[in-house]
Amino acid sequence: MTDLVAQALYSGVLTGSAYALIALGLALVFGTMRIINLAHGELVLLAAYIAYTCESQLGLFPLLSIPAAIVVVCVATTLTWYVVGRIERDHELNSLLLTYGIGVMLTNGALLVWRADIRSTKSAWLQEPVVLGPLYAMRSEVLFFVVSVVLIGALWWWLTRTWAGRALRATASNRDAAMLMGIDPRRVQLVSFLVAGLLAAFAGTAIYTIGVIQPSLGISLTVKAFIITVLAGMGSVPGVLAGALLLGVTESLTTTFASSALQELAGMVLFLLVLFVRPSGLFGRRIGAV
Amino acid sequence: MRGRSLSALVVVLALYALVPVALGGNLYLMSMVVAALTIGGIALAWALLGNLGGLVSFGHAAFFGVGSYASAILVMKAGWPIAAGLLAGGVFAAVSAILMLPALRLRGPYFALAVLAYAHIFRIIATEWKSLTGGAGGIANIPRFPVVLGYDFSGKTGAYWIVLTIVVLFVLVYDRVRNSDYGLALRAMHDSEEATRVVGVNSTLLKAAMLFLSAFMTGVLGAFNAHYINFLEPDYAFSGLWTMLPIVAAIFGGYRTITGPVLGALVVYLVDQLVFKELMPIGHQIILGALLGAMILFAPAGMLPALLRRRGWRHA
Repeated sequence: MTDLVAQALYSGVLTGSAYALIALGLALVFGTMRIINLAHGELVLLAAYIAYTCESQLGLFPLLSIPAAIVVVCVATTLTWYVVGRIERDHELNSLLLTYGIGVMLTNGALLVWRADIRSTKSAWLQEPVVLGPLYAMRSEVLFFVVSVVLIGALWWWLTRTWAGRALRATASNRDAAMLMGIDPRRVQLVSFLVAGLLAAFAGTAIYTIGVIQPSLGISLTVKAFIITVLAGMGSVPGVLAGALLLGVTESLTTTFASSALQELAGMVLFLLVLFVRPSGLFGRRIGAV
Repeated sequence: MRGRSLSALVVVLALYALVPVALGGNLYLMSMVVAALTIGGIALAWALLGNLGGLVSFGHAAFFGVGSYASAILVMKAGWPIAAGLLAGGVFAAVSAILMLPALRLRGPYFALAVLAYAHIFRIIATEWKSLTGGAGGIANIPRFPVVLGYDFSGKTGAYWIVLTIVVLFVLVYDRVRNSDYGLALRAMHDSEEATRVVGVNSTLLKAAMLFLSAFMTGVLGAFNAHYINFLEPDYAFSGLWTMLPIVAAIFGGYRTITGPVLGALVVYLVDQLVFKELMPIGHQIILGALLGAMILFAPAGMLPALLRRRGWRHA
């Protein structure tokens, strides 16, 4: 019993680290631009399909596709940034509809190019078990956990120690004041989209090597990232991390003690509870509520 | 005003009589028109929520699915007549919207995403609650529309008349709400929610009322569709298409107008099915996604209103 719980917690933390990369991208863009990018999950999925293509067509090891994924996803996020910036009125709601439309295009594009079949990595090396005492994981899970921790550390350093990162945080907390300090908000927004794209490229490759992908996965990744940001309270990087781990652990406990079909439902129930009881999020300031 | 209602009446009567005569022989086209009207009805319900309630929903598939399952189960397991099933579909969808009330406390983008998450929840419940819904295998042999006054409504033409009647009724209800005192308060809310609250309007209650009405309408259409196609499975009844197509249709037709979403659905769905799907059988909805994006950028008030204005016509 204790072993099962420990194993579930362990797996949950490993999955949660990939969720954290996705949710951080969503939160960064929301912070600087006040929009929720509904195509974010599809961008992550795009990176996953690039890993699949490189592996199945070129025989590349999935990790080697990451540079290509970064380039493609960042081009896509730059385009998104550009078109969202051209919205003239009702910015908040129209940006949702616009990014929803982009998501529909990406999902159907994936359907067109890669078909509806379920894909997963063929690499035996990545699927080898790693045993840590009583705990078990796949090599890919451990690998991407380490990658996520490094990336999140780097992001933290960048946000707090560099001028560009501080400019981003300043814009997120008070756009007008940031402008008075000589920060160009358009540029900062572009940077946030690029960083989100970078994180999405790693997250997508992680998703591909850890599990299975199909075109309809994009929207549920967006929903997961949104749930995490609601849990976190749309405020801070540590909040997002805690929210991601909480979601990962909830899902994996559900899979262990109930069924894997219910894991998504468990995340939703968690989300509902937070919405009812504490709409400002578990860790954040009160932003979302009226 | 009187002249306009009269001409509207003539148009509706012509729709009842002429479309089946013109297309009656072509069962494929007739089924396309029935589907387009179904989506048009959802688009109308979606636009009502957006226009009067100020809320954008990405989860109308939830209401559609709940309505279709509620009616199918009540008719098959409890022996209800289909007409009662249609109403019950709407009522159950509205009741399911109660779960969304806490999301009304959230501002625009949060509400939109919360509803998207709800739609996922309902699909999972329909898949997992096997004793009631038959799980992923679905429900087959859902009773068809019956013979009424000697006419068999189970065919395409019967279904066409039923869905047209539903949509016409919804248009009338929408019009009544918009021109009522509530409609005035809702329009005022659109300009400034704070100011409207100050003069004593309970804005959350009004929004909730619009959410229930929109959910009810969508649920009725879901119930209609269940008896029309006689088969349900979770991935179909709760498919994101029941959200995506109405959104594109409503934006295309102009979501601030009443008939625009219905006309938009006829144009968007028929062109998608008859042209785009012929050109590219898989993934043809990529064009609808592009269309939605282009409209938001270049004609956010709708494509049909923009075209009609250019020709100097007024749009109801």
